[in-house]
Amino acid sequence: MTARTSAVLLAFALASRPLQGQVWHNVGGSATAAMLRFRSAASFGGEALSGPAAGAQARLVLGQVAVEGAYLQGHLTPDTGSTAARDLADATVFLVVRPVRWVALKAGPHLRAYITPGGTERWMLWELRARLIGELVPGRLRTHFEAWVAASADVNVDPGASGAQGGEAGLTLVPTRSPLWVRLAYTFDREKMKNGTRSESLEALVLSVGFGGP
Amino acid sequence: MRRAAALILLALACALTASARAQTPQQQLETATRAYGNLDYDAAAAALRAALAQTGPQALSDRDRVRALTYLGATELYRNNRDSALAAFRRILRIDPRSRPDELVFPPEVTGLFQEARLDTRIVTVAAPPVTRIQAAGDRMVLWLYATSYHQIDVAVLRGNGVPLRLLYQGSIGDSLQLLWDGQDSTRSPAGTGAYVLRVDSRGSDGRVVRSVEVPLDIQQSPGDTLPLPPAPADSLFRPEHTTPNSGVRALASGLLVAGAAAALPSLISGKSDGMSARFLVSGVLGVSAIVGFRLQRQPQLIPENAAANQALRLAWQRRVDEVHRDNETRRQQFRLLVHAGTPRAVNAP
Repeated sequence: MTARTSAVLLAFALASRPLQGQVWHNVGGSATAAMLRFRSAASFGGEALSGPAAGAQARLVLGQVAVEGAYLQGHLTPDTGSTAARDLADATVFLVVRPVRWVALKAGPHLRAYITPGGTERWMLWELRARLIGELVPGRLRTHFEAWVAASADVNVDPGASGAQGGEAGLTLVPTRSPLWVRLAYTFDREKMKNGTRSESLEALVLSVGFGGP
Repeated sequence: MRRAAALILLALACALTASARAQTPQQQLETATRAYGNLDYDAAAAALRAALAQTGPQALSDRDRVRALTYLGATELYRNNRDSALAAFRRILRIDPRSRPDELVFPPEVTGLFQEARLDTRIVTVAAPPVTRIQAAGDRMVLWLYATSYHQIDVAVLRGNGVPLRLLYQGSIGDSLQLLWDGQDSTRSPAGTGAYVLRVDSRGSDGRVVRSVEVPLDIQQSPGDTLPLPPAPADSLFRPEHTTPNSGVRALASGLLVAGAAAALPSLISGKSDGMSARFLVSGVLGVSAIVGFRLQRQPQLIPENAAANQALRLAWQRRVDEVHRDNETRRQQFRLLVHAGTPRAVNAP
């Protein structure tokens, strides 16, 4: 499924015309600071935790195709109650194609782990993402909205994963005569267990500073 | 009987005279050299003077004139006409200052008298190339000066009106002297187009000018070639520096849609609206940005990257123009001269 999806995306990228003015290859990266909020809901109750996180992203662009990877790590503490605090580790690797300037399609694995003293909950997702990009001020200010679904989901907690989906909305500013860019975004994703017994959501207010093109 | 003999002699004299008149100067010269060899100096002198007196197309060449004058000088010496001999030798030196009697033909008293005449004569001849091109920094007009004897000379280039342009040499000359002229005046500026004169003044022992030789010079100057300026960059090479104004509705709509999506994201994903309130911050910033984008897109906006690229293009062109200007300035300071030298002529013979 994933291999087929990747092949379709790659073929789509190669069949597309080159974007006018697009840089043929470059390397970019960013540093991220985020404020996280975790919610879980189950028939027997729920948890609410929040905390800061930090991470980094790297990207290699080859024409219309890019590979980008991101890692985020944070510490979540309970907002109320006696829920155990936990660490979060979140990593993604995506193959990205941009058939047109205002669309980016992504596919790749997404790993997430909640680490507690009593054990680690690991999610393994294969995601398909679509990002729409709008220019508010050409070359200076742009918005994006990204939505994704998990083509496959797995978790090491019974009864297992049934699916996941999420979205992100944000704004990117490229200051005049600066090699850096700044991005403010809000993300929300939800993972569901089988039989509807439990669901988890993780949302984040993300501030990124990057270089090499947003 | 005596009367008849006299008539016969007169007829013979007339016949000889007519015969002599019928001879060419070259034949007269040969006749004279035979008479000189036969020690008939009177006949030799008569024939030599007749040969030298000839003008026009049949006149003797300079080489034969020198030969005839040498025999005439020797003949007059043996006829005890020493002054006439010296005069003949001086005439030789005016034609060719480097000429010397052949010591195998003429005895020492002849060559000695010639030497005396040479040392007493101050004559310079000038050998200049008919055409000289001066177009590079090291190009020079090469002048050779030949002198009869050691003396002081002044060599200068004069304008057509006689005003000095450049003093080339002031000093002594022995046998010969090579002078170089770079085509410039005394201020190192190139001589302009026009007529000039190369003048050589020979000075006597008292310092007075005893003889001058002038060589007419015709100079044509042309400026150095300059390079054309590089053409300005074509308009097609410039990128648009400003955005094209539009209604801005698209920016407004996309910004507001994303702002709404940020606010409604929890509801869209999970069906619940209990997301973190910080999403409204993002939503608000997006909304404000949408309005800013809407306003800005209605006005032409500078595209800094394109403006910088265009400026770099203009500067690169301007640098090339400046380089060509500097190069042309150097080229204009260069010049090309074409110098035609005429036949040297004596101006005031002593």
